Amino acid sequence: MQKTVLVVGAGPAGLAAAAGVAASGAQAVLVEKAAKLGGTPILSGYAKLVPSGEWARDAMGRMIKRVEESKNVTIHKETKVTKLAGEAGKFTATLSNGTSVECASVILATGFTHFDSINKPEWGFGTFEDVVTTTQVEQMVAAGKIACPSDGRVPERVAILLCVGSRDRQIGREWCSKICCTVSTNLAMEIKELSPTTDVFIYYMDIRTFGLYEDRFYWKSQEEFKTKFVKARIAEVTRSPDGRLLVKGEDTLVKRPIVIPMDLVVHAVGMDPNEDNPEIARVFGVGLEKHGFIDRAEHYTNTCGTTRRGIYAVGAALAPETIDDSISQGTAAALRAVADLNALVQKSA
Amino acid sequence: MAIHEKTLIDAERLQTSDNLVLDGVDVSGHWNTMVLPRYLTDYDTDFARQIRTFSGGENVHRCWQCGSCTNSCTVYAQNTDFNPRYWIYLTNLGLKKEILKDKDIIWTCVSCNRCTNICPKDVKPEGVMKALAHWLEEEGHTPETKSSIFDNEFLGQVYATGRIEDTRVLVNFLRKTNQSLTPPWLIEIGKRMTKYFPLTFLMHMGLHLVFKPRTKSWGRTGEVLREYVHEQKEIARKARAMPKEAVHV
Ligand SMILES: Cc1cc2nc3c(=O)[nH]c(=O)nc-3n(C[C@H](O)[C@H](O)[C@H](O)COP(=O)(O)OP(=O)(O)OC[C@H]3O[C@@H](n4cnc5c(N)ncnc54)[C@H](O)[C@@H]3O)c2cc1C
Ligand code: SF4
Ligand code: SF4
Ligand code: SF4
Repeated sequence: MQKTVLVVGAGPAGLAAAAGVAASGAQAVLVEKAAKLGGTPILSGYAKLVPSGEWARDAMGRMIKRVEESKNVTIHKETKVTKLAGEAGKFTATLSNGTSVECASVILATGFTHFDSINKPEWGFGTFEDVVTTTQVEQMVAAGKIACPSDGRVPERVAILLCVGSRDRQIGREWCSKICCTVSTNLAMEIKELSPTTDVFIYYMDIRTFGLYEDRFYWKSQEEFKTKFVKARIAEVTRSPDGRLLVKGEDTLVKRPIVIPMDLVVHAVGMDPNEDNPEIARVFGVGLEKHGFIDRAEHYTNTCGTTRRGIYAVGAALAPETIDDSISQGTAAALRAVADLNALVQKSA
Repeated sequence: MAIHEKTLIDAERLQTSDNLVLDGVDVSGHWNTMVLPRYLTDYDTDFARQIRTFSGGENVHRCWQCGSCTNSCTVYAQNTDFNPRYWIYLTNLGLKKEILKDKDIIWTCVSCNRCTNICPKDVKPEGVMKALAHWLEEEGHTPETKSSIFDNEFLGQVYATGRIEDTRVLVNFLRKTNQSLTPPWLIEIGKRMTKYFPLTFLMHMGLHLVFKPRTKSWGRTGEVLREYVHEQKEIARKARAMPKEAVHV
C-alpha cells in the first residue's frame, strides 16, 4: 500500500497540489523538468500578477518556500517521468534521473506552452525587432523600463494586438486563452506607469475580462489610464521608411482601412497545449481532447479526473487557465488523491 | 468614362486635373480622374484630451461602443447620419477629419438626455455633443451658433447693468441673427400678455426698454465679472493647447 502521490510539474497548479498532499500528512513527490520551481510565471519572468498585483517572484516564492520547507515533499528538478507502470493504487514511476517512485495516484500539472508568434509571420514577429510578445513586455516591466528593442527609445505609441495564437481557425487554434485580455489591459496600465506620455492602443475583436476583472482591469485601464480600444483585427505589420512600424487592418467601426504608425507592437500570445502533451499522453496513458490539452473526465463527481483512473490533471494542462484557478484545481486534486489513499487504507483494514 | 460609379466615392477623394502627364504619357482628358485611397493614416492622440476640457466632454474616453446612446437618440430616429456613438469613437481615436464631415449636424442634438440616461459607462453623450459643438465653433469650423449669440447678448446686458431686460435681449438677438423683429409667435405672445398682464407691469417693461435701468451700486461689478469670465475662458483655452508632456492624461 502506497502513501505517496506523484505530482508532475511545479507551476502554480503543481505547487498547490504538492502542498495540499503534504498538509494532509501524505507524501508528495514533485517532478519538474526545469531547473527552477514556480512554472511559467517564474520561468518566463512575469511582472505583477493579475489580479493580486503582487510580483510573480514574491507570490510564487511563497508557494515554492512552502513545498521546499515541507518534510513531506521530495523534489526532483530537471527531471521527467519516463515510464509509468501498474494501476490506480499501485503505480510505479520511473524518473529520468533513474529514481523509481511507488505511488497510489498521479497529478499532472504540466501546464502550457506559449504560442510561438513566428507562426503568424504577417504580424511581424521575428522580422521586426520592435514587434514583441506580452511575455517580453512582462520582463521589461519587471526590469522597470519600457523601451523599443531596436534602439532603446521609449515608445510614444504601443499597439497591443489581442488573440495572437488564439481564436484563429487558420492556425488550428479554436480556443480563447482566457487571461490575455485581462493581462493586456493590465500591461497597458503598467506601461503608462513607467512612461506616462506613451499612448497605448489595444486592437481587439472582443474584450473578455470576465467576472471581477471587468472593472478592476478593463474599466480602470480605459478610464484611469486612458488606454484606447480599437475594434480591428490587424491584418499585417510592416515598417515605414522612417523606421516606425505600421499596423494595417480594417477599423470595423469606422469601416475604413487603417495604416497607423506605432513604435512598439505587442502580441498578446495565447496558451497552447504543452508541447510535451503527446509524450505525456503516451507515458501516462491519458487521452488528449481535440485541441491537444489533456482530456477531462466528467467533472461533477470525478473532479480533476482524466481518462485514466488514479491520474488527475490540473491547471493549464487541461485548458487555458488562470493562476488562481490553477491553484484551486491543484488543491482540489490533492484532496482527491489523498481520498484515494484513504480508500486504500480502509480496504486493507 | 474611367470611373463608372462616382456616386460611390466621397467627392473629396476624386481628383481631376486639366492636364496630366504620367511617366511621359499624356493622360489629359477624362482618363485623368484619380481616386485617393480611403486609408486612415494617423490618430491625433491629443484630441480626446482637448474635448475633455470642454464642459460635458469629461467622460468621453469611457465609451465602449455599445451603441445604446445612438439607439435611444431622438435625432437619430429622424436622421441616421446623427450618430453619437460614432462621433465618440472618432473623438477617442482623434479621427478629426471624419468628425468634420458631420460638423453641420452635430449641433442638432436636442439635449433630451435619453442617451445620458441609458449609457452603461456614464459617458454623458449629450455633454459630448455639446463639447464637440463648442470645439467646432471655437476652431471656426462652424459659424457662431444662435445659442452663443443669445448667450453673449444676455451676458452683455448683465455686465452693463447687472440685470436683463427680456424684451431687449429678444429684440437684439433677433436683430443680430437677421430675423424678423415681429415673428408670428412673438406677436401672439404680445397679444396674450396685453390680455392677461396688469397694465402697470406692461408700462414698466416699456419704460425699461427706453431707460435701461441699472442694478443699484452696480459700479465696476460688471467690468470685474467680464474680466473674470474672460480669464476663465483663457485658462480653459490654454489647458486645451497644453503640450502633452505637461498633462499626462
Ligand atoms: C503573458 C502571460 C501572462 C500571464 N499573466 C497571468 C497573470 O497575471 N495572472 C494569471 O492568473 N495568469 C496569468 N497567466 C496565465 C498563467 O501563466 C497560467 O495560469 C499558469 O502558468 C498555469 O499554471 P500551471 O501550473 O497549470 O502551468 P505552468 O505555469 O505552465 O507550469 C507547468 C510546469 O510544469 C513543468 N512541466 C511541463 N511539462 C513537464 C513534463 N513533461 N515533465 C515535468 N515537468 C513538466 C513546466 O516546466 C512548468 O514548471 C499569464 C499567461 C501569459 C501567457
Ligand atoms: S482572453 Fe481576450 S485576447 Fe485572449 S484569446 Fe480570449 S479574447 Fe483573445
Ligand atoms: S441628448 Fe442629443 S444625442 Fe442624446 S439622445 Fe437626445 S438628441 Fe440624441
Ligand atoms: S451608450 Fe455610452 S458606452 Fe454606449 S456607445 Fe453610447 S456613449 Fe458609448
